[in-house]
Amino acid sequence: MSDLLTPCAQKSFTLPIGPLHVALEEPMYFKLDLDGERVRQVEITAGHVHRGMESLAAKRNFFQNVVLTERVCSLCSNSHPFTYCLAVENLAGIAVPPRGQYLRVLAEEIKRSASHLFNVGIMAHVIGYKSLFMHVMQVREIMQDIKETIFGNRMDLAANCIGGVTYDLDSTLLEFTADNLNRVAGHLAELIDIYRHDPMIKARTQGVGVVSPKDVAALGLVGPVARAAGAAMDVRRDSPYAAYGDLEFAVITEEGGDVHSRAMVRLREARESVGIVLQALGKLPGGERRARLSAIPAGEAVARTEAPRGELFYYLHADGSDVPLRLKWRVPSYLNWDALPVMMKDCAVADVTLIVNSIDPCVSCTER
Amino acid sequence: MPRFLKILVRNLLKGPATDPFPFQEAFTPDRLRGRVVLNPDLCLGCGICRHVCPGEAIRLEPDEGRTGYSFSIWHNTCALCGSCRHFCPTGAITLNADWHGAHPQTDKYRHAEHHFVPYLRCAGCGAPLRPLPPGIAARLYAHSPLDMTQVVKLCPDCRLTATAKREGERYGTTANPG
Ligand code: SF4
Ligand code: SF4
Repeated sequence: MSDLLTPCAQKSFTLPIGPLHVALEEPMYFKLDLDGERVRQVEITAGHVHRGMESLAAKRNFFQNVVLTERVCSLCSNSHPFTYCLAVENLAGIAVPPRGQYLRVLAEEIKRSASHLFNVGIMAHVIGYKSLFMHVMQVREIMQDIKETIFGNRMDLAANCIGGVTYDLDSTLLEFTADNLNRVAGHLAELIDIYRHDPMIKARTQGVGVVSPKDVAALGLVGPVARAAGAAMDVRRDSPYAAYGDLEFAVITEEGGDVHSRAMVRLREARESVGIVLQALGKLPGGERRARLSAIPAGEAVARTEAPRGELFYYLHADGSDVPLRLKWRVPSYLNWDALPVMMKDCAVADVTLIVNSIDPCVSCTER
Repeated sequence: MPRFLKILVRNLLKGPATDPFPFQEAFTPDRLRGRVVLNPDLCLGCGICRHVCPGEAIRLEPDEGRTGYSFSIWHNTCALCGSCRHFCPTGAITLNADWHGAHPQTDKYRHAEHHFVPYLRCAGCGAPLRPLPPGIAARLYAHSPLDMTQVVKLCPDCRLTATAKREGERYGTTANPG
């Protein structure tokens, strides 16, 4: 009996988490080397649900691939077909008309704010702040309703097509969107204040899972994970695409590099996204929303965008037929996984889930 | 915490945020992509929808006797992406907001929409022919002095011959390939 009651605080052991585990929603395998309550080393193994999508893409025509790439991941689901279409347009020299460019930004930013809200909501859930979690999800629900009303689906917008966008907005929808976004903006201001100052949130998240600016450079981290450690990088500003060059927005950074800073970056970015959409609605140019299609020649092209989780990169190799020879994409989560061993070094076991969630990892993207 | 208490009280006073489905209709916007439907009167049988469909949910096949073609949409294979609607030149294939697609497993092969679109016979040579839907023919021939009701009854080959003859007469030469 006394044996069973001996605290294991001093013992070293290995704790496997995943690939199927009650505390994990997605299949990923973590092998934690523990010293009592402290994590000393982390090993991550992926590949449990690899779907072979890049190979599928080389068996489908250019139109089918717009839809296939939208299914890479549900939270970044607009960024994938968007970047893929940019790559095809780069190769074929198709110029998307201004209205199409603006509508593309609109879809992308609506998705970004919903994605960020989801992640900070889950963070509240992980630290056991269920009422806040429910509230954040309810605020996100306003974005979901906007998506469902404009695009016809809560996650897969089907907004992009090669040469522009498939959808349009009339004056009723413009007004509906602006009204609801203003509601979200009000909620976001409140949430930013709560996340910034709430003692319980601060106690659980500040100083936890820290990466330094040096780690950011060494590991090639991207997106909110990099920006929360002070690295002001954002593809939307660094190499503007679609209508981002015409729109005003700040690249949000925080200094802490910890779980708390990452949540703050996401919340403030969500507010920035709402601002971008409101601007785009105000400046929406008239005219065509998609270009005429031309033949897609043989050759290679790349495109990159800022997805909610960071830089997303597409490479396309075509041979002049209507099926690509090779389509390859590099997702932001792929880089950010590498931050976990650094973030978890010497952390408490109880913080593991919190830290994993703070990089907003997408297993779906990683296991493309 | 006190900051959040304010919100908590506000949310409590507001009452439940969820729709009381199934006792009441759930929020369903007009543009909701719920189910793919075909209007066979407008369909040309061009197959663009089948070409762009990522899930291969659309089947389009002439029957053996070439009396027409069958058109099937398999709802369980459909990803509701809307590509077919986007690319269809006539607006024959669309999506409606009916999202009540749940069905028992035993009905999975019945969860589809099947049509048979008959061919007409070309007025010139009798070849099977899917005529342009009247609305589309009217749009295409809006600025033409030709009687489009006759033109649409001809297959592409016979239409070529008819045009050659007509143009020949107009310029006073006979259509003589020699
Ligand atoms: S539904 Fe439209 S795209 Fe499909 S075969 Fe008919 S006309 Fe062509
Ligand atoms: S909505 Fe998409 S998946 Fe469904 S039938 Fe049309 S093209 Fe195919």
